Amino acid sequence: MADRIILGSILVLTGVYFWATAQIPTLEIGDPLGPKAFPRLLGIGLLITAVMLFFEIIKNKKIARPPDTSSPPEAGSTIVVVGAVAATAVFFMSFEFLGYMLSVTIYLLAMTYYFNKKGRGVVNVLISVTYGMASYFIFTKALGVSLPRGLLPF
Amino acid sequence: MDTFQHIMNGFLVATTPINLWYTFVGVFLGTIVGVLPGIGPSASIALLIPITFGMNPTSALIMMCGIYYGTKYGGSTTAILIRTPGEAASVMTAIDGYEMAKKGRAGAALAVSAIGSFIAGTLGVLGLTLFAVPLSSMALKFGPAEYFTLMVFAMTAVSTLTGKSVAKGMIATLLGLMIATIGIDLQSGQARFTMGVAEFQDGVGFVVVVVGLFAVAEVLRGLERVMTGTAPDAMKISGRLWLTKTEWTRSIGPIWRGGVIGFIIGVLPGAGGTIASIMSYTTEKRLAKRPEEFGKGAIEGVAGPEAANNSDTAGAMVPLLTLGIPGGGATAVLMGAFIMYGIQPGPMLFQNRPDLVWGLINSMYIGNVMLLILNLPLIGIFVRLLYIPQGILYPLIVAIAVIGAYGINGSTTDLYLILLFGVVGYVFDKIDIPVAPLVLSLVLGGMMEQSFRQAMTISGANPKIFFGSAITMTLVIMSVLSILLPLLLPLLKKYKEEGKDE
Repeated sequence: MADRIILGSILVLTGVYFWATAQIPTLEIGDPLGPKAFPRLLGIGLLITAVMLFFEIIKNKKIARPPDTSSPPEAGSTIVVVGAVAATAVFFMSFEFLGYMLSVTIYLLAMTYYFNKKGRGVVNVLISVTYGMASYFIFTKALGVSLPRGLLPF
Repeated sequence: MDTFQHIMNGFLVATTPINLWYTFVGVFLGTIVGVLPGIGPSASIALLIPITFGMNPTSALIMMCGIYYGTKYGGSTTAILIRTPGEAASVMTAIDGYEMAKKGRAGAALAVSAIGSFIAGTLGVLGLTLFAVPLSSMALKFGPAEYFTLMVFAMTAVSTLTGKSVAKGMIATLLGLMIATIGIDLQSGQARFTMGVAEFQDGVGFVVVVVGLFAVAEVLRGLERVMTGTAPDAMKISGRLWLTKTEWTRSIGPIWRGGVIGFIIGVLPGAGGTIASIMSYTTEKRLAKRPEEFGKGAIEGVAGPEAANNSDTAGAMVPLLTLGIPGGGATAVLMGAFIMYGIQPGPMLFQNRPDLVWGLINSMYIGNVMLLILNLPLIGIFVRLLYIPQGILYPLIVAIAVIGAYGINGSTTDLYLILLFGVVGYVFDKIDIPVAPLVLSLVLGGMMEQSFRQAMTISGANPKIFFGSAITMTLVIMSVLSILLPLLLPLLKKYKEEGKDE
């Protein structure tokens, strides 16, 4: 099933890519190929792989597969991943407004609170706060990496 | 100055205090990364690229290569003590290494991995030293058509050898190439596929893609494991960290053979450390006097594969340095690091920057000595890393990734991109699309298009140029074979089996 979705997505992507390639304006000077030729080649390559994938799907279907005994993916773990992605997205959205130190500390507090329940809460807080402060000062002051200051005055 | 003098001069470069320090930092970090399951060399090198910006390129590259070969040492520790490879290539070590640990011979298993890694690693660097000059002078004769077909071969080999399906490997390769076409076309000045995002004018950053695909995706997989509770417990190191005389005589043969197998596999594109260790394991099993011991704690099954996956890293440096064409995911990331420092690996590098090349190669001899010390007497320190709660470790990796991704351009677009590529990497893993071919073709994409267009300009837009010389013809045939063989071999096998039935 997943393979058929991949096949469909590849075909859609190929179409979009060919269309986008056609949108590139060209000037005929010197270069006999211009900026469109190589992308066109890639589009053709993608079509060929779609055909290959199609045959792989047929081949896999023919092989009588033993019923899938491995446990189906638990819905719970998918929600965990979606939640982690959402938490990280919120972290990134608040990154420039709150500043590196605040946003990273809050993110670590939230994540360790949820994912390290077995550990002691004090350890989680200690690590989150120490990491947030130490990494900020090490990278901005010692290594010259620019990170947003945000709401804090330093 | 002749080559011998360049090599000697390289030792002077490698032994300056600052470079010794960065060699040490590299192999130290490499061991840590190797011990920690999940996070691998590609992600850690990518995380370090922006952080080490502004460093002297020689020192920075010495450090990053140290991480690359250092991880192979650390990976075996985890394999032996918790039966989870700390690094993909130590998957075979997990079988007999863990069995040895159960029998109270963990010390011997760790010792033979470290010693075998050291012997084979050094052997590999010796091979790199010997092969580098002849190969790079051959590569100097390559024109754009030769380079284009060479890249095609590297990509087809990687896409057919990593992952379970040829078509899915090719999809990954083409996606990488397509991402590489985003941005302003260098020859015509036209913006392509920027989708109206100003940041895309310079193309999608390599570091962003790699950090997302490797680091963030691994965090998502790791957090999933934390919640499903499949994190195993580590065994205590049992027995002295040394070998008995019989163990030693049983190991020395596999170490040498593994070293040679690993180096050859490393030089060839596509295969990489995991296949090298599997090949060494099956070779040893075939040669063994008591093959039934394999899987039950045979020391040969630890010595051979560990040797193979270490000389593989030195072998993989050969095409990267001499041709400027990496043959796998991790070396592609290393190549990305070279390019970020404004250094184009390849034959010209041996002429223009012999100090850098030989300083780097010779630092690998020193790094292997350091790794032997770190992974034998000091291994107890690194084992403690296995007790870090994963629920703390993974969020911290995101926090580190943020510094790198934001630090390059100071733009939150890059943050959203690492998350996007993290999700892509996570999904690709679930649907069996490998990411190594994508990274390889992303790093080579720009060069590939340039050499394609240059070749076509030379030939007056006649594609015959790609079949014009013995070198290009050989490479074209090898590329076609690398795609067709995996498709045809099962058919042939089936044909034979059907013949038998009748």
